Amino acid sequence: MSTERKPVTDPRTGEPLPQRAQPGYYSGFKTLSQQAFWDQATRDVVLRRVEYVPPIRFFNEQEAATMLAVVDRILPQEDRLPSTRIPLLPGLDERLFENRLEGYRYEDMPPDQEAYRIAARAFEAMAQELHGQSFHLLPTLQQEEILQSIHDGKPLAASQLWNRMNVERFWMLLVSDCCAAYYSHPWAWDEIGYGGPAYPRAYMRLTEGEPEPWEKGEQRYQWSPPADTLSGAAQPPAKGSAHQSHPGQAGTH
Amino acid sequence: MVHLGAMQKIKPPQRIFRDDEEVDYVIVGVGSAGGVLLQRLARAGFKVLGMEAGKFWDTERDWVSDEAGSHQLYWNDLRITGGEHPLALGSNNSGKGVGGGSVHWAAFTPRFHPSDFEVYTRDGVGADWPLSYEELEPYYELLEQEIPVAGPAWYPWGKPHGHPYAPHPMGGVGDVLIKGCTKLGIPVSAGGPVAILSASRGNRPHCIYRGFCIQACKVGAKASTLITHVPDALEHGAEVRDRSMVARISMRPDGRTDGVVYIDRDGRERFQRARAVIVSGYAIETPRLLLNSACPGHEHGLANSSGTLGKYLMAQAGNVVLGRFDELIRMYKAPPAHALTEEFYETDPKRDFARGFAIQTVGPLPIAFSKQMMAAKGLWGWSMRREMMEYNHWAALGLLGEILPWADNRVELAAERDQYGLRVAKVTFRLRDNDKKLIEFGKNKVMEVMHAAGAVEVVQESRYAHLVGAARMGKDPSTSVCDKFGRTWDIPNLFVMDGSVMPTQGSANPGLTIQALAARTADYLITQGDAIFNSASRDMTPPPVCRSLSPPDTFTSGAPHLR
Ligand SMILES: Cc1cc2nc3c(=O)[nH]c(=O)nc-3n(C[C@H](O)[C@H](O)[C@H](O)COP(=O)(O)OP(=O)(O)OC[C@H]3O[C@@H](n4cnc5c(N)ncnc54)[C@H](O)[C@@H]3O)c2cc1C
Ligand code: SF4
Repeated sequence: MSTERKPVTDPRTGEPLPQRAQPGYYSGFKTLSQQAFWDQATRDVVLRRVEYVPPIRFFNEQEAATMLAVVDRILPQEDRLPSTRIPLLPGLDERLFENRLEGYRYEDMPPDQEAYRIAARAFEAMAQELHGQSFHLLPTLQQEEILQSIHDGKPLAASQLWNRMNVERFWMLLVSDCCAAYYSHPWAWDEIGYGGPAYPRAYMRLTEGEPEPWEKGEQRYQWSPPADTLSGAAQPPAKGSAHQSHPGQAGTH
Repeated sequence: MVHLGAMQKIKPPQRIFRDDEEVDYVIVGVGSAGGVLLQRLARAGFKVLGMEAGKFWDTERDWVSDEAGSHQLYWNDLRITGGEHPLALGSNNSGKGVGGGSVHWAAFTPRFHPSDFEVYTRDGVGADWPLSYEELEPYYELLEQEIPVAGPAWYPWGKPHGHPYAPHPMGGVGDVLIKGCTKLGIPVSAGGPVAILSASRGNRPHCIYRGFCIQACKVGAKASTLITHVPDALEHGAEVRDRSMVARISMRPDGRTDGVVYIDRDGRERFQRARAVIVSGYAIETPRLLLNSACPGHEHGLANSSGTLGKYLMAQAGNVVLGRFDELIRMYKAPPAHALTEEFYETDPKRDFARGFAIQTVGPLPIAFSKQMMAAKGLWGWSMRREMMEYNHWAALGLLGEILPWADNRVELAAERDQYGLRVAKVTFRLRDNDKKLIEFGKNKVMEVMHAAGAVEVVQESRYAHLVGAARMGKDPSTSVCDKFGRTWDIPNLFVMDGSVMPTQGSANPGLTIQALAARTADYLITQGDAIFNSASRDMTPPPVCRSLSPPDTFTSGAPHLR
């Protein structure tokens, strides 16, 4: 249903790079191959995440189509073979369906469920208003212009919907939720070379970035994001965001 | 049998008090402070009951080596956050379940400095504590042996002291801190102080450097009151009633409390009689409960005749500074907490702000790191995917900066209600000039260290950690909620004892100080005996330090070289 998306390319030649089962610089590294060394409770939690994809129950069909297209731009996966793409929307939908909270709500935000409903409608309304077309059918650039405006806190359209929340905070909530879904998946751990669970076996090579005997060293290659994307470069936050702690922030110390 | 770490197992059905059986003490919240109080009071022979809103964990079954799978450790019930600089709460701030925040803390355990107890006298800002460093010092020493703390034999800052367990080996981030600081001539404490075992003790194994401290330590190497104090409390006749949410403190017409109303694990409202109540629910839930307990004669909440309940809430500036290196770091290994510097802790007249900060190692796992990249660099889409592929090249250091107490940084009640029908807390926060200057200077210093260590790119995100205050202790009943033992000024048999009693918070992580304060209050309660239950007279004599109430193994292994 969705439109063709452009591939990632080789920066030296500009040629498309083939899709990979496992992008990233740790080819052949598989955290799941170490599962015999994990404790039972951890194995259960991680395997369920890989094997069970919850049904969509919170978003209705229209909202789901929009939000699927949104999360596909927040963390695009066109460099992955379709069979190794990590589902993002089901985890988000499940959280909202179960109304699982982070423990707080900003006073200038509606409850998470309401915020996402409004946003799903707003993304679609923006697409219709700007292009007379459904969001999920738009080409990459037009989808990303819409998303970029939310990132910037200056929605291009549907302002009466976006007025009902702090737009920058919603953006951070959305990106946080997508990142939590993607980087909790063992395939993403393989991609970034993260060792994953290590109890009861332990980590023993603590310094110099040395890999454990069962980890892999880096094998780098060059790649460029698709030519038509707006999300390829860093976009340092605006000055006005100084001293703001963001939704979904994790603890450190 | 319940597992508490890899080697310790206990049988939980303990003593169970009937609701109409009057216990001596109900402790609301079995967290960092509550766990220590429960253990001390049980050992001293009191009938003591800990009410805990969350679960009694089985560490093998309930805890995982997995970032997303550890969500249940945190206080996830609704709170409202606002003000000009709203605080992120949830996993960034507080726990739920036996052990409270000590389950997911990084376990940095520096002491406060002597100067922290007299900030107002020295700097004309903040407040003085109603006690001195010297009064708390013996409890620092005691707790450092009980939990125990690993760190260098000579710790140079504040009042110099040593640690009972050996320092830990460095991880990649510790190496970065040492390298950067050495270039700049800044001393670093390597390998601690952290409440993580560098060698086994009793039925607790040593650390295996798996890096999941903030997801709770399945190994049992990192201290939490769940494994250090609660087992001994149960052994000595305490009850822990888990999944029991205290809804309000019950008041008698004579101005004393007679127990607590709570919602039990089946959702029923029940009443537990008690001769005295200690609230140890964290700097948000403690004031919330006291406010929610408003009743005739106490219209503005319990222990609030001063009007300061909920006010002077503090957080520390916990900015995370991230540096990318050409070489690999792999910051997910080793405990996130393993090295720090307090070289900038004290007020420096050459700077244009009062008080100071520390710099500490942190080790965000992939999800936390991706959110930091979102906040620090505005990443999403392909730029996020690409930067995350560099995860192993990044190191993270944490600022820990003192934010001063301000009356209108506060906890109040919101209109919304939680699943128990109780009004939820609303937290309001705003930085002042001194706070902003301190953060700016501290952040830049950490970035300088990161550059000096060889980082090719350095970015940062704002963050606030360690909420304390909001039911502060003091010498004057008109400007504080409780006295220096946590006894509320208004209600003679109602105590507050947790991070919320702190008048200021320095730039040391608060956990050790919270536990030390709890142990000291326990000594006070034990010395006072029945007077707490029967009398309103207030004896302010510091109690003798009781060394016979420590959990087993405290004095059999690990002794600091330097006291
Ligand atoms: C990610 C992270 C890392 C941290 N790292 C460090 C560190 O390295 N060093 C450090 O010193 N500190 C650290 N902290 C802070 C530390 O965890 C807290 O300061 C400390 O645990 C607070 O202790 P407390 O006794 O005040 O409350 P808690 O330990 O939070 O205990 C309160 C308990 O009361 C219960 N409760 C609350 N209300 C009720 C009620 N109405 N009825 C029944 N039960 C109730 C709660 O469920 C909870 O178990 C960290 C915190 C976080 C989030
Ligand atoms: S790094 Fe050590 S202390 Fe931290 S969770 Fe792992 S074993 Fe426990």
